[in-house]
Amino acid sequence: MKVRKNLQEMITEIKKSERFKENVVHWHTIEEKEAKTADMPRNLHPALKEALQTRGISQLYTHQKSAFEHASSGESIVAVTPTASGKTLCYNLPVLQTIVNDHNARALYMFPTKALAQDQKAELNEIIEESGLDINSYTYDGDTPANIRQKVRRAGHVVMTNPDMLHSAILPHHTKWVSLFENLKYVVIDELHIYRGVFGSHVANVIRRLRRICRFYGSDPIFICTSATIANPLELAEKLTEKKMSLIDNNGAPSGRKHFVFYNPPIVNKPLNIRRSATLEVRSLALEMLQNKIQTIVFAKSRVRVEILLTYLQELVKHKLGPKAIRGYRGGYLPTERRAIEKGLRSGEIYGVVSTNALELGVDIGQLQVCMMTGYPGTISSSWQQAGRAGRRHSESLVIMVASSSPLDQYIIQHPDYFFNKNPETARINPDNLIILIDHMKCAAYELPFTAGEPFGTFATEEILEYLTEERVLHQNGPKYYWMNDAFPAHNISLRSASQENVVIIDQSDVANVKVIGEMDRFSAMTLLHDEAIYLHQGIQYQVELLDWEEKKAFVREVAVDYYTDANLAVELKVLEQDRSKHGMLGEVGFGDVSVTAMATIFKKIKFETHENIGSGPITLPEEELHTSSAWLSLNEDQLKFNQERIEQGLIGTAHALKHIVPLFVMCDPSDVHVIPQVKAVHNERPTIFFYDKYPGGVGLSEKVYEGIDRIMQEAKTMINRCQCENGCPSCIGTDTTSGFAKRDVLKILAGLNKGEQHVY
Amino acid sequence: MSIKNKLNRLKSHMVHGVQAAIPAENSKAETEALRELPFQEIWEKEGVKPYYVDESFCLVREKEYSLDDMHGHYAFSAIKRAVEAWNETDLKHPLSSKGNTPQDLFFFDTETTGLGGGAGNTIFLLGYASITDSKVKLKQHILPNPGGEIPLYKSFLESVDYTTMVTYNGKAFDWPQVKTRHTLIREHLPKLPPFGHFDLYHASRRMWKHKLERTKLSIVEKEVLGIERQGDIPGFLAPMIYFDFVETRNPEGMLGILKHNEIDILSLISLYTHLSFQLLGLDANQTSREVYETGRWYAALGESEAAKHSFTHLSHGDHTDAIKAKHALAFEYKKQKNWDEAIPLWKSVAKQGEEKLRLEASIELAKAYEHRQKDLNQALAYTMTAEETVTDPLLLESIHKRRARLLKKIDSQVKKPTIS
Repeated sequence: MKVRKNLQEMITEIKKSERFKENVVHWHTIEEKEAKTADMPRNLHPALKEALQTRGISQLYTHQKSAFEHASSGESIVAVTPTASGKTLCYNLPVLQTIVNDHNARALYMFPTKALAQDQKAELNEIIEESGLDINSYTYDGDTPANIRQKVRRAGHVVMTNPDMLHSAILPHHTKWVSLFENLKYVVIDELHIYRGVFGSHVANVIRRLRRICRFYGSDPIFICTSATIANPLELAEKLTEKKMSLIDNNGAPSGRKHFVFYNPPIVNKPLNIRRSATLEVRSLALEMLQNKIQTIVFAKSRVRVEILLTYLQELVKHKLGPKAIRGYRGGYLPTERRAIEKGLRSGEIYGVVSTNALELGVDIGQLQVCMMTGYPGTISSSWQQAGRAGRRHSESLVIMVASSSPLDQYIIQHPDYFFNKNPETARINPDNLIILIDHMKCAAYELPFTAGEPFGTFATEEILEYLTEERVLHQNGPKYYWMNDAFPAHNISLRSASQENVVIIDQSDVANVKVIGEMDRFSAMTLLHDEAIYLHQGIQYQVELLDWEEKKAFVREVAVDYYTDANLAVELKVLEQDRSKHGMLGEVGFGDVSVTAMATIFKKIKFETHENIGSGPITLPEEELHTSSAWLSLNEDQLKFNQERIEQGLIGTAHALKHIVPLFVMCDPSDVHVIPQVKAVHNERPTIFFYDKYPGGVGLSEKVYEGIDRIMQEAKTMINRCQCENGCPSCIGTDTTSGFAKRDVLKILAGLNKGEQHVY
Repeated sequence: MSIKNKLNRLKSHMVHGVQAAIPAENSKAETEALRELPFQEIWEKEGVKPYYVDESFCLVREKEYSLDDMHGHYAFSAIKRAVEAWNETDLKHPLSSKGNTPQDLFFFDTETTGLGGGAGNTIFLLGYASITDSKVKLKQHILPNPGGEIPLYKSFLESVDYTTMVTYNGKAFDWPQVKTRHTLIREHLPKLPPFGHFDLYHASRRMWKHKLERTKLSIVEKEVLGIERQGDIPGFLAPMIYFDFVETRNPEGMLGILKHNEIDILSLISLYTHLSFQLLGLDANQTSREVYETGRWYAALGESEAAKHSFTHLSHGDHTDAIKAKHALAFEYKKQKNWDEAIPLWKSVAKQGEEKLRLEASIELAKAYEHRQKDLNQALAYTMTAEETVTDPLLLESIHKRRARLLKKIDSQVKKPTIS
């Protein structure tokens, strides 16, 4: 019988064996780091000191000490804390100390998910118990039973919740929380970096409402934020809370030895420069680990990938480890399902997890030894978060990033320096996005009437208040604006999804027991839940029998087929108004408002394993319209002297390359910014490439593109130049181009970058 | 681009919810006119007067009825008899007004701009009635625009000089909402005094759930109290009518709401009277089901004597309600370990009751014979009867256990030589 290998032996094997070593393009070892500590603060309450002693903590890490000192002196702080660096003490210590000294003091903790709040409550309660102090901490979320809610409101010193609950249950009912708001000393925002883009813009407005209510009750809490490593934690924290912050980044936590392997699958088609699929490669690597019972987490970028990998792996180890040893974990699962997986991981019954980035958040799932990424996760900071999943408890660990053929992946895998030395991405929010802002001003007006001249956070409200009065949502009475509507505004506003109405997925396989198995936002549903789509959930295949677009319901039935589906979205775009413009090296660059209409057109059926196209069908769904902000680049056509056909092919290729480069510069999910080429843009009749925000009104992503357009084009050029393919491949300009000179033409378009001098900006 | 333009462009992405139908007028001019009260003649005719605090005001409507006036089956004066009757008994009951006079009570109801709790749900009408020696006095405090909340609550708090409120679902809705709105302007107002509270909603549910599909006040008053409303405005329209009133200041629609609220309040008087009569056995026309529900309520409260009284009253005869009463009565005797009374009652239920009662009675008899009377054969007989009717698998399992245990006991008794 084969003897099981341990992690050490696996590492050696990957380094040495013929099978793997060729594909390893970079091996980065991060050495162990010693702890940097400081003495306990002298004024720390003896009971707390003792409680920490019993948990074996006699000294603090340097960043924990700094956090305590700053917060205790009344400063709001943001602490940058990598995975497993003891970040919870950064806020728990100052909070507990304050409550010990003033029994009326209250603190509100905000975690991005319920699971995290549950986790943290358990941890905080252990310290409280060991200290023997009389301090109540509770979670307050959708699961909190009605009979203890009143107690939480009245007597909870520490209330742990999530932004959604704060938005829809606490703030609109603030009169039931008088003792919390009157005595609120601290607001803790954990996982700050999650609050970016649309979600972050919403949460910034929830915080404006929170602080407005605090002012009404006469409190002005100190904010303590913790964040993973991003380029601008201080800026993000200040923008989110609109408070002056101090940055704490002297991390003193130790870390174990970590191997970070860049793995590029072998080329299987030389002329097309096509590599073996990352999914297949991850499958065999993961199988190797799992068969040796090495706990492994596999990240995949999309829900579909997660389900495909899960199906593969479960099938392969079914007899060895049992069907339940490998589980899927993704956002669309219902909470109970997710909870069970978290528990199984912690207890060790589950060896492998295949996850979307839902697990990036700091839910403590115990020791995983290996982390695998199916493709580059899209951002440097997200990669480090995922890598932190392996070896959390300071032991040796292995991280393997398997590149896909996408241009971005190929760029990253061939530029390890870029990855390891560059600043991680900048997190951007736009709290003043009008759609988001107005939604929250309605909630705010419901909570407390506005007074003329009263700002909302830093936003001057006059015009909005007038608008809402005209729309008969508010009523002006003297200097005050009152809510004058029978609705409960928070109920119609979701912080998490771009479109406010989700499609509910209903499984009708068992006629007697029809049940809801998940939900999905509207735009995704157009391409993932259309009639006949194959929808995967926990590795089970479902076919969509009917998508009821009016009612936003998708009826699915379990099936067993050997293919999945992939849909096309046709997009039309019009410039409504140009706000800014400048001359870039390649032509005119504009920024402004656009209208986008999207329509799902056809879908393809793609066979598992071979990934060949085995059929297609039409999708009949109404057009969706979107008003948003956009940046665009109109090329100097006359310099190119191309015919229509070559321009079109060149633009398609350029856009394909850009689509993958843009997320690098604008910290966002690749799907948050769309890149669309037009041979003749409607507004200026010139060949134009548009970059637009997916969210109505925009959240600042395309603005960043506008500012950095030349650098973005430069990087795209470098990437295409370095690609080894002959005539375009998925790793550079894509395969949607049909002409033989597409790659040359794209380079010609980009060639202007060298000649062009920078014009006036 | 200006914010206005952007707003218009993005309009399609925004939804605002229900709005009143009339377009907004320029509200600037209204600011100066805030102190004024247009349509004064109409208001005066309705007995409505403004109440000012500094620059803002609310409206107060007063109306009187004679105690002899009828509202449904009852004259208002009957409330005096109800309170008197509570004072004559020692029964503990959540609706008991022992220690009170009729003058201590106020019958209270509100109208709001939305459903459910929440800080932004505004109360625009606080109405209540109280009893004097010869009259029913109705008072309604009306919010003429959202800026008038301070006078609204001030006038209200100045005039509610009572100990106990009577409401319909006021414990869950009206009173918490008053507290919420009060909190928002609490620095301008006296504290809310503590009140006793009789919530008739839960009482009505207990008594009439069996015959009414919904136990809304309007349905209870029609089906139980014999009150007919004419041209009543349905409650769900109230917010829209109110928004319209705030814009136009024309009282027409509001008068309908005032009437609606008025009837709601007057119905509370008759309802409290009626419920008290039910609970105290003073209603000659009480149905047997009502007697039964009364008994069950007392049983739940631990008022065993009152419960037994109700059940005993019903238990003669063999109609369905009588059997149910016997069953319930038997449980009361069981509580007192009075097996001699309980067993015959259950025997009769086990013979004549519907399936479910028969089963329960047989099981109770089996228990009683096994553990109390120590008559194992009887116990076994009733266990077998129970087994015949049972369908619930869990229950069946426990019956099988009991049977096995009984057989074992019987067996060992037979084998054991009796010591005499």
